Amino acid sequence: MADIAERIMDIIAKEAKLDRARLTLDTRLDELKIESLDLVQILFAIEDQFDVYVPYNDESYKLETLRDVVDGVNRLIAEKQAEATGKG
Amino acid sequence: MHRVAITGLGCISALGNDVASFWSALKAGQSGIGPVVAVPHQHLNIKIAAEVKNFDPAQHFDEKRLLLLDRFSQFALLAAREAVKASGISFKGDLGRETAVIIGTGAGGMNTLEDAYARLHGHNGSSSRQIPLTIPRLMVSAAASHVTMEFGVTGPSFAVSSACSSANHAIGEAFWMVKTGRARAALAGGSEACITLGTMKAWEALRVLAPDTCRPFSGGRKGMVLGEGGGVAVLERMEDARARGAVILAELAGFGMTSDAGDIVQPSDAGAAGAMSKAMQDGQIDPGDVGYVNAHGTGTMANDATETRALKLAFGNHVRKLMISSTKSMHGHVLGGAGAIELVAATMAVHEGVIPPTANYQRPDPACDLDYVPGTAREARVDAALSNSFAFGGLNAVLALKRAA
Repeated sequence: MADIAERIMDIIAKEAKLDRARLTLDTRLDELKIESLDLVQILFAIEDQFDVYVPYNDESYKLETLRDVVDGVNRLIAEKQAEATGKG
Repeated sequence: MHRVAITGLGCISALGNDVASFWSALKAGQSGIGPVVAVPHQHLNIKIAAEVKNFDPAQHFDEKRLLLLDRFSQFALLAAREAVKASGISFKGDLGRETAVIIGTGAGGMNTLEDAYARLHGHNGSSSRQIPLTIPRLMVSAAASHVTMEFGVTGPSFAVSSACSSANHAIGEAFWMVKTGRARAALAGGSEACITLGTMKAWEALRVLAPDTCRPFSGGRKGMVLGEGGGVAVLERMEDARARGAVILAELAGFGMTSDAGDIVQPSDAGAAGAMSKAMQDGQIDPGDVGYVNAHGTGTMANDATETRALKLAFGNHVRKLMISSTKSMHGHVLGGAGAIELVAATMAVHEGVIPPTANYQRPDPACDLDYVPGTAREARVDAALSNSFAFGGLNAVLALKRAA
């Protein structure tokens, strides 16, 4: 799980051209002032690296901090694995 | 300077293959959005679109001609045939040499292009040999060329491409040609046919497509829905139209355009407002005389809030008396063809005195606090109307209509 958090922060730093050292799990997303085009690049990279689909405008995700983002990606990965197992 | 009459309209969209079916669906608030048919769902996260239905190209074009026609050219031709027939105009003699054809499209022959790539890179064995007619089918000006050939008109003709403003730029330029005497009449419109796997995936990746439906200006809106289709208007000098006793559906009175010079995807309220103001100035229309605006209204969070601010900038206090609707809620976002299809809606609204609604509206959004005519059409006689198109890259184009006297 820690590895996933590191990878997500690497992606955000790279795509939004941010100082990686600035990012912690407690960093608030609104502080980062990520531009919309950088955001779609971040989502693309997350989908690509973790092989998940990040739903669009899903109100069940409350994204305020980077921890929320990491939790959200973990949830998507878990859902995908459950679905794969379910299909057996 | 000449006044310019709209004497014929044609369109094909998710709401039907002619103006009558389109207009009756709009008045009923019926949406043409549904599950995508053209693209297999297993490849898609967003599985809805506003596709043209019950359209068999072989019923409209012979086999030899069809080889030359990408779907976007087919749509333009169908719309042009309907518009010309409805107007009763004849291009025999001098008029054919003095008639312009300007057709907007964002992407041109996307189906042809995608088929060509599939052939080149496809999973079923690649082929380095392309279908010989690939180039003439996919070029963005193909639809304009085919419309000239259909009617034998030999005046100025070209395509206009400015993403989602393409059709309005095309119609606006044609309008100015007729107004200033550079052409005597014009066939002007737009066409788009890019509901393909590649285009759907690319729009999905941009994260502006709604998974449920298109809810312009509504709280809970989730984005736009891709549409397809085409529209064409016959424009001619008012005095010519009157002399031959044509039905004048509306006067095309003004055109305004600006560029935001801001962002490649984020819209600007000042740029959009500037285009609306310029269209009204060009048409010598007092903002207080405008009763209806066919909004760009894509259903994205950004567009609808920005367009609302822009309307306030352009209209001042009168904005509270405006009826504003986005017919994209029903025919989807036809991209480079959108302005043409929406001109049909706006012209019919002025002509018949019925304002088409914004369908799928659920609840107010504090950022969108105007009268969007939610759900149900309204009978209202309006003296003037605007039709807005705002493109990615900040290219804004607005048409202004007056009710025929």
